[in-house]
Amino acid sequence: MSTIAVVEDNADNRLLLQALLGERYDLVEFDNGVDALAGLSASLPDLVLLDISLPGMDGNEILARIRADERLRALPVIALTAHAMAGDREKYLNEGFNDYITKPIVDETVLFDAIERRLAEAS
Amino acid sequence: MSSAARQQQEQPSVDPEALARLERFGGQVLLREMVGLYLANAPERIAAVEAALAADDVIAAENALHSLKSSSAQLGAMRLARLCEAGEQITRGGRLAGVADVAHAGRSELERVSAWLTDALARRTS
Repeated sequence: MSTIAVVEDNADNRLLLQALLGERYDLVEFDNGVDALAGLSASLPDLVLLDISLPGMDGNEILARIRADERLRALPVIALTAHAMAGDREKYLNEGFNDYITKPIVDETVLFDAIERRLAEAS
Repeated sequence: MSSAARQQQEQPSVDPEALARLERFGGQVLLREMVGLYLANAPERIAAVEAALAADDVIAAENALHSLKSSSAQLGAMRLARLCEAGEQITRGGRLAGVADVAHAGRSELERVSAWLTDALARRTS
C-alpha cells in the first residue's frame, strides 16, 4: 500500500481525507510545515498532499524546501487548496506542484485519479 | 413581500447536497464528526477574525477567513462561504476596511447555519 503524507492544518479536512483515502493508502498526517518536513525526511512517503494556507510556513514554502532537498526533491506533491481563482492551476503547476486539487472536495474521483496518476508517474 | 418570499429570504443559503455527499464519503459517522468539528471551530474562526481586526493583523484575518470559507463550503454553508470569500478578497489586497461588516454578517449567518446543521442531523436519526 502506498504511503501518502497529508499536510493540512484543518482537522475537518484531515478527517475528510482519512475517510476518503484511509482504506486505499497509508496516511501520515501533519498539521504544520516544520513537522511535515521533519517527518518526510525521517520516513519518505510515496506522495504528498499539501494544503497551501498553513499557519507559519505555507504550502509554497514547504514545496520549495522539498524541491531544494536532494532526498525529497522527486516526491510527487499535489496542492490541495481552497484558493480557486482563474489561472491558479497554471500558477501552482508552474511553481513545481505535480497536480492541483481544489477544496471543497465535490467529486472524489478527481482526487483519486490525480493521486493514482502521480503515483504511476513516480514509480 | 409575500410570506413565501420572506421565508425564502430568511432561509440560510445552504446546499443540502453537501451533507449527502459527506455521507457518501464516510457515512453518518463522518457526517456527524464533520458537523461536530464545524460547530466547535467555526465560532472560534469568527472570533479570530474579530481579534485580527482589533489587532490590525491582515494576515491573521485572511487565514481565519480562508479556513472558515473552506470548512463552510465543504458542509454546504454556501452563503457563509461567499461572505468569507468576500472578506478574504479584501485582506488579500492588504486591507481590512469592510472586514468588520463581513465578521458581523458572518456571525449571524453562522447562527442560521448551526441551526440548519443541528436540524439536519436530528432528521437523520428520526
